[in-house]
Amino acid sequence: MTTLDTLLHDKVLLLDGGMGTQIFARKPTMEDYGGAALEGCVDLLTERRPQWIREIHESYFNAGADAVETNTFGANPLVLGDFGLSAKAYELNVQAASLAKEVARSFDRPRFVIGSVGPGTKLITLGHVGYAELLASYRVQMDGLLDGGVDAILIETCQDLGQIKVAVRAAREAMAAKQRKVPIWVQATVETTGTLLVGSDISAVLTSVEPLGIDVLGLNCATGPDEMHAHLQTLCEASPFRISCLPNAGLPMNVGGQVVYPLDPAGFAPKVLHAASEFGLAIVGGCCGTTPEHIRALAPGVAKLNVPRRAPKLERSAASLYQSVTLRQEPAPLIVGERTNANGSKKFRDLLALEDWDGMITLAKEQQKEGAHLLDLCVAYVGRDEVRDADQLLGRLVSQITLPLMIDSTEFPVIERALQRSPGKCVVNSINFEDGEAKARKILDLCKTYGAAVVALTIDERGMAKTREQKLEVARRLHALVVGEYGLDPGDLIIDPLTFTLGSGDEEFRGSAVETLEALKLIKAELPGVMTILGVSNVSFGLNPASRHVVNALMLYHGVKHGLDMAIFNASKVLPVAKIDPEDRRMVEDLIFDRRSEGYDPLKAVLARFSDRKATLVDAHRTDLPVLERLHRGILDGEKQAILADVDEALKDHDPLKLINEVLLGAMKVVGERFGAGEMQLPFVLESAEAMKAAIKRIEPHLPRESNYQKGRILLATVKGDVHDIGKNLVDIILSNNGFEVKNLGIKQPIEAILRELEAWPADAIGLSGLLVKSTVIMKENLHFMEEQGLKVPVILGGAALTRDYVEGDCRRSYAGAVHYAEDAFEGLRHMQSLVAGDISVPAPATAASAAGDIKILKRGGAAVPLTEAGQSSWVRHDAPSPEPPFWGVRELTDAPGDLFEHLDEFALVRNRWGFSQGSQSDEAFAAVLRDKAEPQLARWKARLVAAPVFQPKARYGYFPVRAEGDALRVLDPTDRERTLALLGFPRQPAGRRLCITDFFRADATDVLALQLVTLGQAAADHAARLYREDGYADYFAFHGLATELTEAYAERLHARIRRELGIHHKDLPGRALFAQGYQGSRYSYGYPACPDLEGNGPILDLLRGAEIGVHLSDSHQMDPEYSTSALVAWHPQARYFSV
Amino acid sequence: MPVKVHFLLEDLLVEAPAGTSLQRIADAAGADITFGCRTGSCGTCRVRVAEGLHHCSDPSPEERDFLQGLDAPPDQRLACQVTVHGDVAIDYIGL
Repeated sequence: MTTLDTLLHDKVLLLDGGMGTQIFARKPTMEDYGGAALEGCVDLLTERRPQWIREIHESYFNAGADAVETNTFGANPLVLGDFGLSAKAYELNVQAASLAKEVARSFDRPRFVIGSVGPGTKLITLGHVGYAELLASYRVQMDGLLDGGVDAILIETCQDLGQIKVAVRAAREAMAAKQRKVPIWVQATVETTGTLLVGSDISAVLTSVEPLGIDVLGLNCATGPDEMHAHLQTLCEASPFRISCLPNAGLPMNVGGQVVYPLDPAGFAPKVLHAASEFGLAIVGGCCGTTPEHIRALAPGVAKLNVPRRAPKLERSAASLYQSVTLRQEPAPLIVGERTNANGSKKFRDLLALEDWDGMITLAKEQQKEGAHLLDLCVAYVGRDEVRDADQLLGRLVSQITLPLMIDSTEFPVIERALQRSPGKCVVNSINFEDGEAKARKILDLCKTYGAAVVALTIDERGMAKTREQKLEVARRLHALVVGEYGLDPGDLIIDPLTFTLGSGDEEFRGSAVETLEALKLIKAELPGVMTILGVSNVSFGLNPASRHVVNALMLYHGVKHGLDMAIFNASKVLPVAKIDPEDRRMVEDLIFDRRSEGYDPLKAVLARFSDRKATLVDAHRTDLPVLERLHRGILDGEKQAILADVDEALKDHDPLKLINEVLLGAMKVVGERFGAGEMQLPFVLESAEAMKAAIKRIEPHLPRESNYQKGRILLATVKGDVHDIGKNLVDIILSNNGFEVKNLGIKQPIEAILRELEAWPADAIGLSGLLVKSTVIMKENLHFMEEQGLKVPVILGGAALTRDYVEGDCRRSYAGAVHYAEDAFEGLRHMQSLVAGDISVPAPATAASAAGDIKILKRGGAAVPLTEAGQSSWVRHDAPSPEPPFWGVRELTDAPGDLFEHLDEFALVRNRWGFSQGSQSDEAFAAVLRDKAEPQLARWKARLVAAPVFQPKARYGYFPVRAEGDALRVLDPTDRERTLALLGFPRQPAGRRLCITDFFRADATDVLALQLVTLGQAAADHAARLYREDGYADYFAFHGLATELTEAYAERLHARIRRELGIHHKDLPGRALFAQGYQGSRYSYGYPACPDLEGNGPILDLLRGAEIGVHLSDSHQMDPEYSTSALVAWHPQARYFSV
Repeated sequence: MPVKVHFLLEDLLVEAPAGTSLQRIADAAGADITFGCRTGSCGTCRVRVAEGLHHCSDPSPEERDFLQGLDAPPDQRLACQVTVHGDVAIDYIGL
């Protein structure tokens, strides 16, 4: 027998269209309703005008609908109560269902009846109606529909999350009582604002309804099909339930006082069908403004639709009234705010005693601002009525807070009332087995009924589990009950392996933190999918506030490393691990990991160390510290303004030379160490350097005339043919602010010029820098040249394209003096320090084998790909026709600086150019750095640069007819194709695919080559130079990185335009993927791996007439001004980056 | 303990000490993998680990963040960020 369920397996189900629309078309009179008092009671028409309702159902079935909805939208006691008809509710539902079933049975193929349950007229979330009253009202309706024989219950046009949950519960309870189970469908109504009437977005709906285990979750009403796309997309990606969609016939319009729906059947059907195939809909139909004709227009298309196959991926989440929050935060952990807890917060407890509800809500809002993801809420206060307090507070709170709630109580009635008051998906905190399973079971019943996740503590009849084995054992038992028996999703089980204080010194708890950390690891490994939580601050209970911050922060840090997903924590007190003093950290970690030894007790050490320290986190009040400590700190924190007063004060009783050598350089050493350990970001290092520079400038006039605090000298230069100076300048900044004298010769320095300088200014070493691949070869040639001159001065090499193997192998073999590789400025500093300390030994060149680290080629597969007759790699296929450009020749563009930000690769900017890297920081600490430092920095620069005339973006681009000839491209004159404008040569891979850029162009016909050139203008380059000159290191560095990435962004923007014009833009990927060649074809720039020789820039600039936008070629074939870039664009689908 | 790295694109089989970075191996053997920034922020060296994903180091935070931004499947890695601790087979994507 075909049931609704089997039909849904076979086809996309076609539902009916509007009921109200059809009824009102019949222009019901007062007489039809049965009197003035009953006018508008549409549900009553089932009884009074059954023939109308029968005709409407028939007309929809005749139009091809598989199922119709009963005329029971408002047929519940609460709504009917407005007409004095509450008592008729059950009967009207039975009648309406029976009538529709009767019509359905009169058709020979399977037809079904869906019981319509509307939202009613009162919003529970806004307190219009109580939970019990609403539940009872829906229960009557569900009873009637089931007794009338409906095939499914459809809770539709939902505007309120709270109402959905009540109605679903009523349906379940009615089915349980009648032992008759039918599917439960839910349809939400998303307004044009993008949310339900009460403000919930569709993700909040999905998260909240999902644990209730319904059968269908879809959308109806409010808008036409097109406006529903984004919400359907969300459901398509994440919902485990079938999706239904019953849109209105377009967005209603008001025409001359009449509501008019713009989509006629012919306009409506294709839109719904499109949505059905695009978003994997299982059920379609219509709502307001749709008619049997709309359904008839849909029928043939629906019959042809395939049953959708989706692979939804649902993140375990909690939800507030407004939004869903995933429990697995990236970076971990999810922070549960702990200040709305009468047990933990005195402030909250006092507000509760005063019944200052608004004050408590303010406290909740503060935590939201501080970055909490979830709010722990506990109103347990001895002597007060906890149920009433939960009711009063939540009634006010839920509509004012966007964070989901963790209901913190072990009292059954409190939990139940709180869950009734909370429309979203809550987390219940908590269950345990202290008194056996009975109580846990009662609470789990609530979790099932109200759709909540649960925190479970590792406590059983024996008490709190203290060892890792016990914790795991209880966790297994919790899992068996919660997941195994109650069927909660493992991701809704949040296990708390308990934290005990380390502050008591109690022998029993000395190793408790280690046990907890190890238990986290075991639980995550053994019970896949479950989540973990800790009340982290318990670990430091009893210690003074200053040490608590540090102990808590490190416990959190190690917890996350061991698998902690969530932490109950004061969000405002999250202390980044990098900000912790290393000695504090060592001591506290000894305490956490119980590293006691003979004569050393970390607890005593921590108590002593923090005994007189105030809990002021990172910004210790400067004036409270001794002046030398303040100076040290001023360097670490990069306080270039504040440090001057401290310098002045310190100069009163301290030797200026000593201040530099001991205090300031000592602090810079710490900066270097922190940078090396990945605990300090480059931008902060530069701020420290600026503070150092400012401090030294202030001290210098006080130095005795003859004194020299400089430790050594270095000559720095970027090698011949390379204009990149940022790396070299960073080395300059770090060395000169660490006591070395630096002569920075600038860019494009031929070795002869460098050596001339060396004669005049004898230095301890030469530092050579360069970014280009070609520069690595120049460096080696320079070393050869120095060797021929018989020099021995040590050389330090650095640059992006260099590798340690190359420097320590090839380069060392070229020169008898010492040759060192510096991966970053601080490695350069270390080399300089050991050089001046007298280590003049010349490291031996690494042999070929050891340089390569014993990397052996065992097999190099078959012969290289053969070349075609035309001399092209046969790996590239030429089976697609070349696109037609919209014009031939060259055009010029001017863009607004703000437009460039659109294509800015923020990831590359922040992580690579600006050097924000996570290093050894926890995910959460690094997220805080990104949020508090990197993002505001970008916003500031953007605001500054969009307004100021620093950038004058200009571009030229064009399309040229071209023909591949082996390793060359013949560029033809667009107006006279017999004439060659240029012959561009490219290198070819010697083996493997044997690729060459020319392979992506046809040899047998004319193809199209796009060329592009962008520049930010001369003013940008001037601005960078000025910042550097004026010692604004951090600004210079930030500006340079941003300008470089914006140049790239401009190239990306122009390339996107070219793809659009060539009609190959439909392969463009969304979002960040675009920056990783997420498009058809490729953009090749000279100096990069596929075409490393910069000489190629010449012909490109000529072809594009770059001079017209002020771009010229330098004698080293690079573009001038800086922040300009050119490229060749290949449209061929196989064109990607490669190296020759 | 030497491990074997098989670059599938050109059927190149290389032996290297366990714990060597894939970038060094690729550079030393001349494998057909293009590197860009070598710091895990440009994606030029994206590869698919066809075999032995569990022999690769866990993604650094940078790599994890980068790949997440692209919605890349878990078998895709950035060659510049991976060290190999057992036999692997590498397919160059270079997207």
